Amino acid sequence: MSSNLAERGRSQAYERLRRLLFLVPFISKHPGLKVEEVAKAVGVSKDELLEELDLLTLVGRPPFQPDDFIDVYVEDDRVFLDLNQRLSAPPRLTAAEGVALAAAAALLKPSAGGALSSALERLEKVLPPQSVQRYREMSRQLDVATEAPDSIAVLTQAIVEHREISFEYVGVGRGETEARRVRPAELFSHRGQWYLSGFCLTRQGDRLFRVDRIATLRLLDERFAPAEGATHALPGTSEIEKPVKVRFSPELAPYQQERFGEAAVLEAGGSVVVTVPGDSERWLTRWVLSFGGNATVIEPEWAIRAVAEAAAASLQSE
Amino acid sequence: MDRTERLLDLVALFLDARNPVTWDEVRDAFPDEYSGSEDAAQRKFERDKAELHELGIPLSHAPETDERAAGYVLDRNAYYLPEVGLTPEELAVLYAAGSAALASGAFPGRQDLAHALRKVGFFADGPLPAPRVRLELGGVADARELPGRLELLWGAINAKKSVELDYFSPHSRTVTTRRVDPWGLALRRGVWNLVGYCHLRKDARTFHVHRIRRAEMNALKPRVPDFEVPTDFRLDAYVATWPWQHRFHQAIDVTLTLSGELAPLAQQLFPVKADLIDGVAQLSVSATDLDGLVTYLLSLGAQARVLGPPKAVARIRELAQRVLDAHRKGAS
Repeated sequence: MSSNLAERGRSQAYERLRRLLFLVPFISKHPGLKVEEVAKAVGVSKDELLEELDLLTLVGRPPFQPDDFIDVYVEDDRVFLDLNQRLSAPPRLTAAEGVALAAAAALLKPSAGGALSSALERLEKVLPPQSVQRYREMSRQLDVATEAPDSIAVLTQAIVEHREISFEYVGVGRGETEARRVRPAELFSHRGQWYLSGFCLTRQGDRLFRVDRIATLRLLDERFAPAEGATHALPGTSEIEKPVKVRFSPELAPYQQERFGEAAVLEAGGSVVVTVPGDSERWLTRWVLSFGGNATVIEPEWAIRAVAEAAAASLQSE
Repeated sequence: MDRTERLLDLVALFLDARNPVTWDEVRDAFPDEYSGSEDAAQRKFERDKAELHELGIPLSHAPETDERAAGYVLDRNAYYLPEVGLTPEELAVLYAAGSAALASGAFPGRQDLAHALRKVGFFADGPLPAPRVRLELGGVADARELPGRLELLWGAINAKKSVELDYFSPHSRTVTTRRVDPWGLALRRGVWNLVGYCHLRKDARTFHVHRIRRAEMNALKPRVPDFEVPTDFRLDAYVATWPWQHRFHQAIDVTLTLSGELAPLAQQLFPVKADLIDGVAQLSVSATDLDGLVTYLLSLGAQARVLGPPKAVARIRELAQRVLDAHRKGAS
């Protein structure tokens, strides 16, 4: 247990007790659930759950007469528990639980309003009175600011409410936009980019959209039945589209090695070369410009020219 | 008797009691557990009580009155989770956010978060919403160590225990060992930052969690805090949210304009108020890292312009020129 304390700051008893105080009311609220389902609901393996159930049969209250014990049993792989008035509901959230949940919610921009922020307001009201102070103190200690675009909140809402959306999609080329109507399926961030996958009603097919290219987003009233289990592959994980090679000066090399890992190729002299997708010329030129001369495109030719033109345009405007 | 079992028995005992439970009654109820000298038994019970307190169980000691002896009372109203009253939409969005954070791996307080989600869903009827949001956090290629480090730091923050870190600096390319009082964790641009008091530098410092090569929490006296967080502590004061907020030099007020398609995005691109004149947004930003601002502006393209001061104008021209020179063979 001491090693556990050193690692986590909390004892094993803490984690177990916390689990059991949830487990008892959970089983009595859902009598006859399968062992597997209960295990999944409390986040343990089947064997671990059976161990916990064993322990529960020993739990009672003084004077520990037969009637004073929690009556928990497994029959035909299903779990039952005679309603125990004392543990009819789980304890309230701890301050740390409240803070972790609020911080996770912040990842999806509650500041944008809507369901997320109202949910958080309600949550703060159900913290135990003696934990509110600690919750406020700890809220200062976990801070999540995401560069997620504001539309993330609306897109999340559309996904969970199964509502169609419409927007103007800015194409890969320069400037031209196209009106789209989409049934959103999944939202995900990958390498700092947010993507939306869904069925495009305009193009009649599954599509992947970059969220930063979505403009004038509208949440529509039309609902749809979601497709089951369809998940989109992460973009760029297999092979890089339109690869562009960029060299970083030795000064920035260690930072790019952190970010790209093995994919950053070290050169004699200490510079590194990374390969990034060039499917968006606009993203590429701006990304290279953001290093103010410490990043140089080495190939292909079109990308070198594009960056030079963008730099020249910036110079001209100043 | 297993410790967890005893703690659970205690909760049951206190939840069930109609009157304050005296120390003698507690001892009588668990004669084998609180055995030995009065002093040793008391100390053991105090440790158990501390554990219950940490779990947010509202146990207090009621003083003696004319009618009854002094004893322990568990406030049932403050114990039971009430119906949170979340709408299905609110629950779904909360689940989406929480599950995405959990699935990302790199989120501190994962156990706390998982429990919070379970409790929030306790009163829900029917199956819990399946989240359809995925996140990738960490901002580094090799994030294998990140979840464990975050969990350790979160535990240390909770318990107010100091940590010993081996920290790698990509600037000096060296690893230093130092003791740090962890004050807080902040996620910025996909990177987790630890802010705390560094005993090596004798000052508050910010660390990138992915650059920590080894971390160990002070295992001595786990229940006794090693430090207190300053009362006016704010993560924002140490961790830059925007690239021009790193505290590298005296603040410079930079005036700039955003035109064309950037103009309507002013509010999103800069956290300050912008004046919109003839379709051009004009704003002023206080920068403590001019290069951070200038490179950010370059990344926005030619529709972002610096008006002043001259130092800022010269710098953006200089950097744009450097980029142009480095790519000139392609432009010709």
